[in-house]
Amino acid sequence: MTTVPVAAVQRGTSSGLKGHHRYPHCVEPNWVTDARVVIVAGKGGVGSSTVAAALSLVAARDGADVLLISVDGRPGLGPLLGGDPLDRNDKTLQTVGVDGRVRGRTIPPQQAFADYLAMKGISSVLRKAATAASLDSIAAATPGLEHLLVLGKIKELERERVADLIVVDAPPAGHAAAFLRSASALQEVVASGPVRTQADEVAEMLADRARCQGLLVTLAEETPVNEVIELAYDVEERLGLALAPLVVNACWPRRKGLTVSTTAAAKAQGVKLSPADRAALESVAEYGRARQENQQRQLARLAELLPLPRIILPRMPTARFGPDELELLADALASSSAVVR
Amino acid sequence: MSVELAEVISRAELVVTCGPGGVGKTTTAAALGIAAALSGRRVVVMTVDPARRLADALGLDIQAHANDPHQVEGVGADGGSLWALMLDAEATFDRLITERAGDPDKADKILTNRVYRSIAGSLAGAQDYMAIERLHQLNAAGQFDLIIIDTPPSRDAIDLLVAPDRLVRFLGHPIYRALTMPQRSFARVANAGTTAFLWIVRRLAGPRLVEETIEFFKSLSGMEEGLRRRAAEVAVLLRAKSTSFLIVSSPRAEAVAESTHLASAVVDGGFRLDGVVINLVHPLPRALDALDDLDGLEPGPLADQVAYHRELSQLARSERDEMEGLIRLASGVAVAELPLLEIDVHDVASLTKLAALLTGG
Repeated sequence: MTTVPVAAVQRGTSSGLKGHHRYPHCVEPNWVTDARVVIVAGKGGVGSSTVAAALSLVAARDGADVLLISVDGRPGLGPLLGGDPLDRNDKTLQTVGVDGRVRGRTIPPQQAFADYLAMKGISSVLRKAATAASLDSIAAATPGLEHLLVLGKIKELERERVADLIVVDAPPAGHAAAFLRSASALQEVVASGPVRTQADEVAEMLADRARCQGLLVTLAEETPVNEVIELAYDVEERLGLALAPLVVNACWPRRKGLTVSTTAAAKAQGVKLSPADRAALESVAEYGRARQENQQRQLARLAELLPLPRIILPRMPTARFGPDELELLADALASSSAVVR
Repeated sequence: MSVELAEVISRAELVVTCGPGGVGKTTTAAALGIAAALSGRRVVVMTVDPARRLADALGLDIQAHANDPHQVEGVGADGGSLWALMLDAEATFDRLITERAGDPDKADKILTNRVYRSIAGSLAGAQDYMAIERLHQLNAAGQFDLIIIDTPPSRDAIDLLVAPDRLVRFLGHPIYRALTMPQRSFARVANAGTTAFLWIVRRLAGPRLVEETIEFFKSLSGMEEGLRRRAAEVAVLLRAKSTSFLIVSSPRAEAVAESTHLASAVVDGGFRLDGVVINLVHPLPRALDALDDLDGLEPGPLADQVAYHRELSQLARSERDEMEGLIRLASGVAVAELPLLEIDVHDVASLTKLAALLTGG
């Protein structure tokens, strides 16, 4: 697989997002496979899970063996990719071409905990007793532990190279921030011991751009834009997480014709409209014009405030997102023309 | 659009809005607050994590922790007024500890404990519990005709509602009991699970964290009874006749599925579901008579408008299909549809417009 370190492209220097004006943006179309783990995150409702699924598909089309992990345990991602609902078992959802494959699984914290204890050589009797004592209580005594256990498990999977690419569908932001920060938060509380080692190793993975990238998803709307900007600076500054291009999801295509009145538009194309049709189109155009202006305004804000290349994904004209829409989304994600610098 | 929703906000003393993330829950809660204030009620809206622009619109300064009710200027009629506050879980937890600890030394010991600090600030469950605690404080103060509480996003359960029970259960857990006991009796009663727990925490997180954890639990002891009583009172308040639950959703299939789960959770929990608000609905354009001719147009401005008309119609119809199930499920309660407005809603003027749409005013 070709690897162009996208993080290096974006950051260029160690000064991070702030020094963006100093280095050139030259994102390669195959940025998808630059790191071994891509963590996809975004505010609830922006479609980050479907983007994670589309990303998995893009990499599989490229010949990669991909493991999609849903941290929140969204079983529906399995059928979306043509397989069974996701559960804790790693299973194939779809094969693409000769080598490409998308697998999927979830990582319940309970399982990550049991696996971790097993890995640390803690006997099965004690393990049973500890699980009976419930992870809840242990997690209450060690805040952030659940998230850390899940990230730790992902780190193990990465280390074992269980797949060419691991795509992580992170819990929705602000949970995403808490999830990603769990390692650094625990580093502050725990001075030594295996949890500290685990936290250190996870922090190390997050900060290593060759191993791990964050892919943030937003909509071209006021609140999601504000929150993604905050999240981007937060994860980059605090965790050193390299960021892939920003995905702006569900954008309407830009239509110049919406900016003129229906009367003028009909005249320009030599069409005579019935009064009812003219009224219907006029009200639709007026609505579309305002939404389009709003979308352009938000895209301009992103361009100004967040120095990341942007990938614009089209809005699918449906409220129910299925495998067909996913294929279209993957097409758009794969097309390098979608990247706006 | 919905006269019944107007009735809910004129009758209820407590309204709880719940729903999945990204559906405009906080915006809806604020719009309901405006509607109530305009109908002459003194109303407070408590939000957990408002978007910045919305917080600005409500006069809340995110940086300056607006944990106390703050009047929103220029909203209200017939003696009604709108107040807003943003939950500060940490400050509320601190206040609870200070009130319950009895003496300042004991309070101070808890407040500076490292384990407490990380729990108070970051634990998701703690935030839910503190929202309940703050609600109790507001209710007890009796300053408002109506309290609207905007819960954090949730998918299939309402964390907020189970938070008090969970805390009480945790305090009743053998591990907690063992940890808060004097060392010697501890050895006698501790069961295998507790020993394993301590051993594992010690092994995983180091002895210092265990010490602080034990210290923290010990200092909480004696407060347990008070917390338990408080949780029981809130449970009664949430099930009172004057308390209404509203589900806020969007027409996306996923949000509808989650909202359906939530609606069942509300009803199964013995809470009163009084309404469903479906937010961010795309308007359904009127069909075109000459559609066949217009579809074949050469590229140009009119073709652009026809193409947009087609996509918007397709999306709007698909949304209506998804909403159908939720509307059917909500039979017998108020249902309101709110259009996705031409502009993003984040000021008092657009919130007032939304309020009018919500209550048919």
